[in-house]
Amino acid sequence: MSWHRSSRRFHKWLMLFVGLQFVIWSITGAYMVMLNIDYIHGDSLVKQQSVSLTSADVNYELHQLYRDYPKAEMIELVLLLDRAVYRFSENKQNYLLSADTGKLLSPISEDYAAAVAINLYKKPEANISHISLISDNPPFELNGRHLPAWRIDFDDFASPSFYINSHTGKLVTKRHTFWRLFDWMFSFHVMDYVEEDPSNKLLLIFAVLSLMASIFGVVLTYFRVFSSQSKKKNKRRINSSVNRRVNDATN
Amino acid sequence: MMRLIKLLHKWLSVIVALQLLIWLGSGLFFNLMDHSKASGNANRVNMSQSIDIDHARLLAPSTILRALELSQQTLTQKKTTVQRRVNSLKLIQLLNQPYYLLNHKRGLYAHFYNEHSLIDAYTGEPQIIDDVMAQALAQATYSGNGKVARVIKKLAPIEDMLKEENTVWQVNFTDEANTSIYIDASSGRLVGHSNEDKRFADFFFKLHFMDYGVMGKVGSFNNGLIIFFSLITLLLSLTGAVWVVELLSKGRYKR
Repeated sequence: MSWHRSSRRFHKWLMLFVGLQFVIWSITGAYMVMLNIDYIHGDSLVKQQSVSLTSADVNYELHQLYRDYPKAEMIELVLLLDRAVYRFSENKQNYLLSADTGKLLSPISEDYAAAVAINLYKKPEANISHISLISDNPPFELNGRHLPAWRIDFDDFASPSFYINSHTGKLVTKRHTFWRLFDWMFSFHVMDYVEEDPSNKLLLIFAVLSLMASIFGVVLTYFRVFSSQSKKKNKRRINSSVNRRVNDATN
Repeated sequence: MMRLIKLLHKWLSVIVALQLLIWLGSGLFFNLMDHSKASGNANRVNMSQSIDIDHARLLAPSTILRALELSQQTLTQKKTTVQRRVNSLKLIQLLNQPYYLLNHKRGLYAHFYNEHSLIDAYTGEPQIIDDVMAQALAQATYSGNGKVARVIKKLAPIEDMLKEENTVWQVNFTDEANTSIYIDASSGRLVGHSNEDKRFADFFFKLHFMDYGVMGKVGSFNNGLIIFFSLITLLLSLTGAVWVVELLSKGRYKR
């Protein structure tokens, strides 16, 4: 059998098995490249903080902190809800203190978490549709090391969610529909629908078969588009359509 | 209609044939590659923070802030305004010395543009990260057997660290893997490690993402070139799928 004929056969049969995955690769690939990754990450949902630290904000001094928490490490003075706070860890536990009074703020209450989320949200009018504390069994989108965390869902376009760690008050991650969709697209792109790990056997099989199918496709492209045989065929096809029009005109 | 479908399928293949093979080939590479090798972290260790800070010697954060406010006032009086707001102050250790890391401009992530300064936590003196300090910082995270060959300051975009927007020190080692260690020039933060294995994998990512700096900035898969090719490929796949269905319906898949 000629290479042309056998390429057609192999291309036809291989594509019966992998054709659907080709379509899936194309759709998921197009989605992932067309939406800007910074938009996917919800970067535009977070407001830039505008208040700056001043010495007047700090009335509970560092030496007092060490007196109350002798093993404090990774101490950071930062602004939360426009007020100065200390963040630190002691014995693998995270703490949040007011830098004004030294009052322990962590673990933060639901109201405090909601206020932090609203303060960070880009739009001034932010409606919270749901708020919950996650202490274990985090959803797949939340890394377990961020627990315990408050999940704040906003009633807004694309259902954005902010995750605020309840011991540090930090925005540990965020999600919205387009990011959730992106993860879904990626799992279909790498054919791992559970772990999103590209090193799986299913993908290996499909990649190899698809490569073979495409190579036969390229061979077909040569025969159908570029070879001298195909050029003759194209001429014949054009002539036959001209003949048809001449016949119609003269009848 | 089928004629159009077949015509499109044939002619679109001409446009994307090469890129399709590149996508499949690089995709296969990602499936088979050793991910830990590709990370470039073969010679990486965590910096050890072993020294106990002498709490009594530490300057208070409020002292640091007050000193900055005073210097700001004198600068404003002299009409040279260097407005440096402070977003945060963090007590860190670099090379077993305590410093206050100040943030003056906060990016959403560490690898976005940030402005930092370092202040010696015992003396209050500002600390600049020069090439000597950068080398020491890099060495502290290096577990290989190479020596430092060159230390160069690099501005973004950085070939080995495409996501990084900040200016870094690149510390290059003489080991077999050509390890390069990147240190943030304003904060001393370890940005990351790279070596020949990572660069090899990065080459395949560049091919897969069509990340050539054409119709978009380098370092991302959101560029005009790949969007164009992905849409043509989508049309190619869809016309192919329709053709498969047509062949099935005409009984052309009998042995």
